[in-house]
Amino acid sequence: MTPGPSSAPDDGGRFRLTLVRVLAVQVVTLLLLWWLQARYGR
Amino acid sequence: MHPLNWAIVIVYLVYVVVDGIRRSKDTHEIEGYFLANRNLPWWAVGLSVMATQLSAVTMIGTTGQGATDGLRFIQFYFGLPIAMVILGVTIVPFLHGARVFTAYEFLEKRFDARTRSLTSFLFLLSRGMSCGTIIAAPAVVFSAIFGWSMAWSVALIGVPTVLYTMIGGVQAVTWADVKQMFLIVGALVAIVVVLVFKLPVRPDEALHIAGATGRLQVFDFSFDLSKTYTFWSGILGGTFLMLSYFGTDQSQVQRYLTARSVNEARSSLLMSAYWKIPLQALVLLIGVLVFVYYLFQAPPLLFNPAHERLVRQAEPAAFGALETRFGAAFTARERAARAVAQAEDAGDAAEQEAAMGVFRAREADVTTVRTEALAMAARASGEPSRDVNYIIPRFVLDALPIGLAGLFIAGVMAAAMSSIAAELNSLSTATVIDFYRRWIRPEASDAHFLNVSKLATGVWGIFACIVATFAATLGSLIEVVNRFGSFFYGSILGVFILAMIPSSRGPGAFFGLLAGMATVFAVTVGLPSVSFLWHNLIGAVAVVVVGTLVSAVARPARG
Repeated sequence: MTPGPSSAPDDGGRFRLTLVRVLAVQVVTLLLLWWLQARYGR
Repeated sequence: MHPLNWAIVIVYLVYVVVDGIRRSKDTHEIEGYFLANRNLPWWAVGLSVMATQLSAVTMIGTTGQGATDGLRFIQFYFGLPIAMVILGVTIVPFLHGARVFTAYEFLEKRFDARTRSLTSFLFLLSRGMSCGTIIAAPAVVFSAIFGWSMAWSVALIGVPTVLYTMIGGVQAVTWADVKQMFLIVGALVAIVVVLVFKLPVRPDEALHIAGATGRLQVFDFSFDLSKTYTFWSGILGGTFLMLSYFGTDQSQVQRYLTARSVNEARSSLLMSAYWKIPLQALVLLIGVLVFVYYLFQAPPLLFNPAHERLVRQAEPAAFGALETRFGAAFTARERAARAVAQAEDAGDAAEQEAAMGVFRAREADVTTVRTEALAMAARASGEPSRDVNYIIPRFVLDALPIGLAGLFIAGVMAAAMSSIAAELNSLSTATVIDFYRRWIRPEASDAHFLNVSKLATGVWGIFACIVATFAATLGSLIEVVNRFGSFFYGSILGVFILAMIPSSRGPGAFFGLLAGMATVFAVTVGLPSVSFLWHNLIGAVAVVVVGTLVSAVARPARG
């Protein structure tokens, strides 16, 4: 017997929103690191 | 160290233990002792998750790595945010919804008892030894820096941690983690501020100088399986490593099982998704700035004072000559570094390029002398020098103002203790829930299990302290166990992935796990150049493939 997760109907939408937020923050962080490398990392 | 610094360290140690004992009032049953009655707020759990992952190695070793190798190690964490989001919609709701104490207990509900017992046993074996190494890492450094015996260093870190974890359970662990996380971040930020004020050049010039040595090179896009830190190994291999660690390792799973709801458990993991990479960048940047600091302030030839003493005794003339060469190389490099800063101010591109070229050559001269000194230290001590781990402690003691050095040492202890406490707590949980209650005394009372749990925490704590004290002599054994751990980390993740595939069955999970471990073993032996970051991915895929096939064969037989 597999215990199922407690899911809500809007779980899919919430997941997509969270994924977009986390990826957006990560992209900004990576861009900052990229800028650091491009500006100073000769 | 100044008495005020020691006072800060002692106040911290006493406070952690007293606060932990105070928390024991809320733990009269094993649900409270191990899971805080599943009632902790997401932010406390999130800080606990981050504190558990951030060990003393991060404070000492990773900052040192930043000083010698720059920022490239940050790529190791590129998969973490992705892993956290995936876990939030896959394993977290399953584990939290199943109302289990351990991740492995869930596997019995889904598959069978032998899969649960095997995975839990592998966890105990691996984490039991690694807990000792987590204590040993800072203890070795304290021992060399302060001249203490290894047993005393281990006791200073281990005894308070075992006490508050044993008495207060997960409540004490989590709330101590919260305070420890603030202490750690506070110490790191304070060091950055001090460094910026102590450097004789502007931050912009400091970064130009560091950049000239390649230390601000973050990204490596080459798809080379033998390289550990590349963009692809971080994104692909790193994602699977983080999925394994945060999704199947009881020391992390137990953190978010204490959250009030599935959503709060998810939110606690997302805290790491947002903050881990910036925090790690800060840690590495401290190392880079310390490197720049030592361009203008004469560093010791060897940062490890114990090794320096040994080499002076073993080869006094040769080491003296090396120190003379080092002094000259340092002076030439300092002049070249100042020339780089002046060229940046002047804004002449040709002058900047020429100054950079000279600086790189002088930096190479210093590196040559230091490499010879490290070889001398390895000869004299009979062990790898690991001088990188002593760069930041020496900087802290030599350069930080009174009070801040104590804050940093307390921060290193906090980082070590938060990881050790979580591991002891989870080792005790797996021992009692997956073995003692499952196989030995299933009918015993809750009060009995609570006493056994406290005893198990204490026994694991003593075991970890013994391993840590003899870490130097047990070196090869620990390496074997760690290597063995890498064989099954990804494979256990594969079993959890199988658990989410409706058609998979118990025999598929069990034999898939064995096949996954065998595959990683074969890759390790047959293709030793493949970096360990890829092992988790390989193990997980092998388990899913073999497990699915075995399940397909096993199904008709069962039906």
